[in-house]
Amino acid sequence: MTSVRDPEHYELNLARPADFDGFWAEVLAQAGEIPLEPVMEPVPLRSTDDVEVFEIRYRSLDGVVVAGWYCRPSESVSAPPYPGLMLVPGYVSEPTLPTSWARRGYAAIGVAPRGKLRSNIRYNPGYPGLLVHNIVDRNTYAYRGFYVDAVRALDFLRGRPEVDAARIGIHGSSQGGALTIITCALRPGDIACGAAGAPYLCGMMAAASLTHSYPYEEINEYLRVHPSHRSMVEETLAYFDGVNFAPLIQAPMLVYIGLEDHVCPPETGYAVFRAMSCEKELVATPRCAHDAGAYWVNARVERFLAEHLRPVAALSVEAIQ
Amino acid sequence: MTRPDGFTAYWDRLEADLTRLEPRCVTEPMPRHSTEDFTVHALRMTSVGPYRTFGYLSVPAGRGPFPAVLETPRYGSVNPVPDYNDRMRYVVLTLMHRGQRLADETFAAEYPGLLTLGIDDPETYVYRGIVADSVRGADVLLALPEVDPDRVAVVGDDLALITAAFRPTIGTVRSGWPMFYRLAEARRRTLEYPMQELNDLLRARPDRGAGVEATLALFDPIHHAPSVRATTLIVEGDDPDWMTPLREAVAGPVEGYRLSHEGGTDTDRLDAWLAGRMGVAPMTKFQGKVTA
Repeated sequence: MTSVRDPEHYELNLARPADFDGFWAEVLAQAGEIPLEPVMEPVPLRSTDDVEVFEIRYRSLDGVVVAGWYCRPSESVSAPPYPGLMLVPGYVSEPTLPTSWARRGYAAIGVAPRGKLRSNIRYNPGYPGLLVHNIVDRNTYAYRGFYVDAVRALDFLRGRPEVDAARIGIHGSSQGGALTIITCALRPGDIACGAAGAPYLCGMMAAASLTHSYPYEEINEYLRVHPSHRSMVEETLAYFDGVNFAPLIQAPMLVYIGLEDHVCPPETGYAVFRAMSCEKELVATPRCAHDAGAYWVNARVERFLAEHLRPVAALSVEAIQ
Repeated sequence: MTRPDGFTAYWDRLEADLTRLEPRCVTEPMPRHSTEDFTVHALRMTSVGPYRTFGYLSVPAGRGPFPAVLETPRYGSVNPVPDYNDRMRYVVLTLMHRGQRLADETFAAEYPGLLTLGIDDPETYVYRGIVADSVRGADVLLALPEVDPDRVAVVGDDLALITAAFRPTIGTVRSGWPMFYRLAEARRRTLEYPMQELNDLLRARPDRGAGVEATLALFDPIHHAPSVRATTLIVEGDDPDWMTPLREAVAGPVEGYRLSHEGGTDTDRLDAWLAGRMGVAPMTKFQGKVTA
């Protein structure tokens, strides 16, 4: 039977495992036993009079070393403490070098979870590959460590003396939108706000049935080759689905989606938004796809973050030239 | 627009380097990415260096020849498997240039960093080899018996335009935002990467400015455009005047596409333009109806 899509009223068939909270409590406890061992190395080439740039590393679950960029305003421009901002990357993109956010007054970290360049010496499932790597087993599934890598970036920021730990936000789109939601859920008391665009990793099995675009097409391909694994795949993904994390979020959230998103179907964006019980706002833009209306919404995201995190005014682009 | 001194000789040398090396192509089916409608292969070939590069080659089921699309690499470490709708309609070759994932056995590109790697000297600039990788890909695609030589397109950004300049038998070009276009000017209008890589370099070493600009001029698509005879669509940003010199420099029929910034709208319109050129039906990526 063929029907016209109605993303807003789509009913997601997703059960929350009874031991969902216990599973993640155990994972975080395992991670907590591993010393963070943060390392910061100045990068003079990419630093300016206004912004200091550092290459960073820290240790995460399974002892994997995770890389990232850390940018903060120069003290000659504004004095600490600074609000912290985590920028989390998309599926195939490399982590942002967040100099522009530092110019806006944030101490900002662009994190490269395991498998990304510079974090892939020991762990490198590739692209495509990450989404279905060990997808039959929640205890070794790729995103188990990947999610923790994002949470540990929060620990890195909270450990910086120049960062006001009460004003840390998180922002990203696509996989970055998912990591925003999941990090806010796993550390509900430590994040002041989150802005999530076109959230991926939400309603995953439904999404795969609604699109042939990657990354979700990886699930379709996997099940074509291994049709007998479907129940194991569904079982695993229920522990990693952003919709099941969403009720744990306490921080104010801005979610924005495109109503013609063929990568992360809007049905799943609505579903994760409905599952949130925190203070929340949704921007759904017609005729937009995986851009999620960024051309118009970006300014709103900047205002949202600034209202909650209150950075000291930054420099204009012209002033830096 | 006058071409820089040494422009023709520089690129002739690259062409000669390519001619000297056999591509030695090997393909291997990738069952996971294949369906009854198309077969995807891993394709490995030798480019200038010598360097072994990679591409996803997808061939539709049925009797060809088929229209074909070469996707030149983007700026970033990953180029995805070809789009599902494109695999249904075209022979598609999606290239990884040297240093990108799947073509990184001996050299892994850094981001940021790739844009300025070896930039002081045109002979050592990494993009010389990257252009070679793209042209090599075009040659491999054009030689496939499944490909209709009268319906070949190249899509991408600068590399699409430059590749079409090298291979005028390519009939269609669809170019997104060309990174090398007026780059010496463009870098002053942004603080965003990858262009910021140039600002970083020249802030630290302003004495290298003249050498960097001389290298960049060789890669500016405006100097390649007079050799592009294909029917060309160039995606424009909010300032259409910025692209006017490039449009005017293309030798073949050319038009601009002004982005609506509505991703769904733009994706469909750009798909329809290419499908029209290739003689196939347009396809939307976002299906408004679903079958249960």
